Amino acid sequence: MNLSRPDRRERLDRLAAEYALGTLPRRPRARLARAARTESVVADVIREWESRLASLASALPGVNPPPRVWTRISERLGLAPVTPPATTGWWDRAAFWRGLAALATVAALALGVTLLSPRTAPTDQTLVAVLAGPDGKPALIASADRREAFLLVKAVGAAAVEPGRALELWMLPDGRAPRSLGVLTSAPVVRVPLAAPSGTALADIPALAVSLEPAGGSPTGAPTGPVLYSGRIERMF
Amino acid sequence: MAGPEISERSARLGPLLAQVAMANQQAFAELYRQTSSHLYAVALRILRDHAAAEEILQEAYVSIWHHAGSYVAAKSQPFTWLTAIVRNRCFDHLRRKEIETVTLASDDDGGPQLDLADEGPSPTELLLAGADAQSVRDCVDALDAGPKQAIALAFFQGLSHAELAHHLREPLGTVKSWIRRGLERLKRCLDGVGYIR
Repeated sequence: MNLSRPDRRERLDRLAAEYALGTLPRRPRARLARAARTESVVADVIREWESRLASLASALPGVNPPPRVWTRISERLGLAPVTPPATTGWWDRAAFWRGLAALATVAALALGVTLLSPRTAPTDQTLVAVLAGPDGKPALIASADRREAFLLVKAVGAAAVEPGRALELWMLPDGRAPRSLGVLTSAPVVRVPLAAPSGTALADIPALAVSLEPAGGSPTGAPTGPVLYSGRIERMF
Repeated sequence: MAGPEISERSARLGPLLAQVAMANQQAFAELYRQTSSHLYAVALRILRDHAAAEEILQEAYVSIWHHAGSYVAAKSQPFTWLTAIVRNRCFDHLRRKEIETVTLASDDDGGPQLDLADEGPSPTELLLAGADAQSVRDCVDALDAGPKQAIALAFFQGLSHAELAHHLREPLGTVKSWIRRGLERLKRCLDGVGYIR
């Protein structure tokens, strides 16, 4: 339907608004959803409307779904059976305080979120960095368990690299020169070894970056090509 | 719920979703714990049917597990992204059913049966209470009564044009233009105050 043409913009805006509101009838709704999959302008206009309207949705009081919903989801996805918290016993101080923090969070949300299901430890041992380009679009996600001596780097929107070039991952210490973590292969998820558990190896590293280098990595030990992606390390512990 | 809480929640959900994109099962369980009661409430309001809402919630989380990577690549706030997944599934579900009901419903005997009776606040109250910044609240408040009510009912209860016309006892054309003008006005006002999430 080529709604991306500038002269159709007003019509697109109207359709997207009613799509996000939910009043668009079945057939135009399906057509617009199809168009959004191939035309990014359409997807963007829908997203704008979803954002505008999302601000209105926040007052809805939460309702806990029955526990069977989680059971069915994990069955369908073949998830490992839910594990009890990693540390045992309420007397364990760390676990106790984490539990309190979780409770406070829940209270703050005023959502009445169930604490019984799913029963897992909070993901409080993890480092995550979303590496984005200058346009703000995420390209790679790096994550690590702070106790493990490797990073997992997943490509979510990185541009293809031409032959003879490679992406190199760097730690960006505050006020010092970048230090290489190695060259990323083109695999969807790359495991990058660290010299020590990430909690130590990345302890005072605020951010990561990726530069474009000759195949095999920078010959000098410092970034030589443009920095394509970068992101702050978020510590969830 | 006030605005800062929503942004705080979004700030926490972003890294969680990034971990879900990495197939981290614990992060997924935590995401479920933090978001399922809100998303279930969204589905329940729109569908007014527990079994259907549970079904949609399941499908939504299965989809979130598989597509968390595309969230990361999208430009939405996590909260917006998650809510939109559930809302869109609800509307697909409702509009699919619509073909059957709309042809059966006649004008005088009530059209699709709607049970809008609800213990909670009305859709219009929710709309105003939810607007999570004074400027947004002003924009919603500036709408005329008709458009405001029509937009609130559509947004929270998932009513179609025909259902709105029936429920509000107004001609279909009136309701359609209320929605259209109301949304245009809301957009001008929100964009005017620089409200971009």
